[in-house]
Amino acid sequence: MILQIIAAMLAVASFSILFCVPKSQLLYSAIIGGIAWFSYLSFMGMGAGTVISSLAATFLLAVLARIFALHLKKPVTIYLMAGIFPLVPGSGIYYTSYYFIMNDMTSFVAKGMETFKIAGAIALGIIFGSAIPQKLLLITVRKK
Amino acid sequence: MSDNKEILTLAVEIGDELLRNGGEIYRVEDTIFHILKAFEIENYDVYVLSNGIFASANEDSDDSCSIIRHVPLGDVHLGKITALNQLSREISEKKCDIKTAWEKLNECRNIPMPQTKTLTFFTGLGCSCYTYIFGGSFLDAFFAFFLGMVLKIFLLYGKKRKTSKFITNILGSAFVTAGSLFLYHIGAPVFHDKIVIGDIMPLVPGIALTTSIRDLFNGDYLSGAIHLLDALLTAMCIAVGVGSMIILYRYIPGGKILP
Repeated sequence: MILQIIAAMLAVASFSILFCVPKSQLLYSAIIGGIAWFSYLSFMGMGAGTVISSLAATFLLAVLARIFALHLKKPVTIYLMAGIFPLVPGSGIYYTSYYFIMNDMTSFVAKGMETFKIAGAIALGIIFGSAIPQKLLLITVRKK
Repeated sequence: MSDNKEILTLAVEIGDELLRNGGEIYRVEDTIFHILKAFEIENYDVYVLSNGIFASANEDSDDSCSIIRHVPLGDVHLGKITALNQLSREISEKKCDIKTAWEKLNECRNIPMPQTKTLTFFTGLGCSCYTYIFGGSFLDAFFAFFLGMVLKIFLLYGKKRKTSKFITNILGSAFVTAGSLFLYHIGAPVFHDKIVIGDIMPLVPGIALTTSIRDLFNGDYLSGAIHLLDALLTAMCIAVGVGSMIILYRYIPGGKILP
């Protein structure tokens, strides 16, 4: 589990470099990515299923990205974009096309629907995260 | 009064640069509004799409002017966005005049991309980490590292030659699949699927998806739809690339049955 989170943080940090995130912000985006992946794994561990886990993790990610952005006076995008990558259904795309080619139609439909649901869950997570009023977030920042 | 014109040009230039490097629509619009307001232009209209900017100022007076810009969908460079954000913050706090603003804009434009070596190495590292967190073993991650590096070199080469994005996506994912199936074929104890999943991560449209959702949420439906279409098409290209290689593998003599 700890190894998983470290790997997720490394992955998010190295993708942040690919998107030219300023060097001073790399650590923060890695931390946010690590927390998001941790919450995804925890929800999965509680048996919540991929869709709910993605929703929860993306929501947390979006809120954290906004808090960090407020705190450090940087655009939200730089934390959100790289942090979202571990949650994007890359494996869904792979298995969907794989089952399609293998003519395993039952699995194909199941995987395809799951991939779409995860994409939708990510969308909802970001939307819920952005919908929290700025004032509420300001309070959390001051409390720190 | 050429002043008016110059201010509008500055605002649109900054917006253009933001949009080109992957800023969201509302950020671009906001930035342009703030700059125009900071230089005391009251009467303006700005409309931003994900590949165009339309702006006009002081329509009803003698010094009216307007600008239309075409902005192609480009690479994401979040460093530039951060710097431009800082610049627009300074302008709207009236800490810098037009001349210094131009100088700073040029500075922002010249922030370089990281070197090819760095990009390649970190793509490899990222791919191997993704392979690991999606359930691969250490050996899978090890192979994914090298495949990811070759993939990035190919992608950079494709960008230099200005090959169509669809072609590079299809060929890139096909290459990755071929590589991992080759390892599987020669009997290395790897999970070929995990390697592929890790290595297609640089191609997966995470950014297009995120941007599109955020645009849609802010009510910019047209721009959101453009990015959503981009994300869907990219995902399909990846599926085609991966799928074609799996089909081809069946016809290779001695090809094992895939699990």
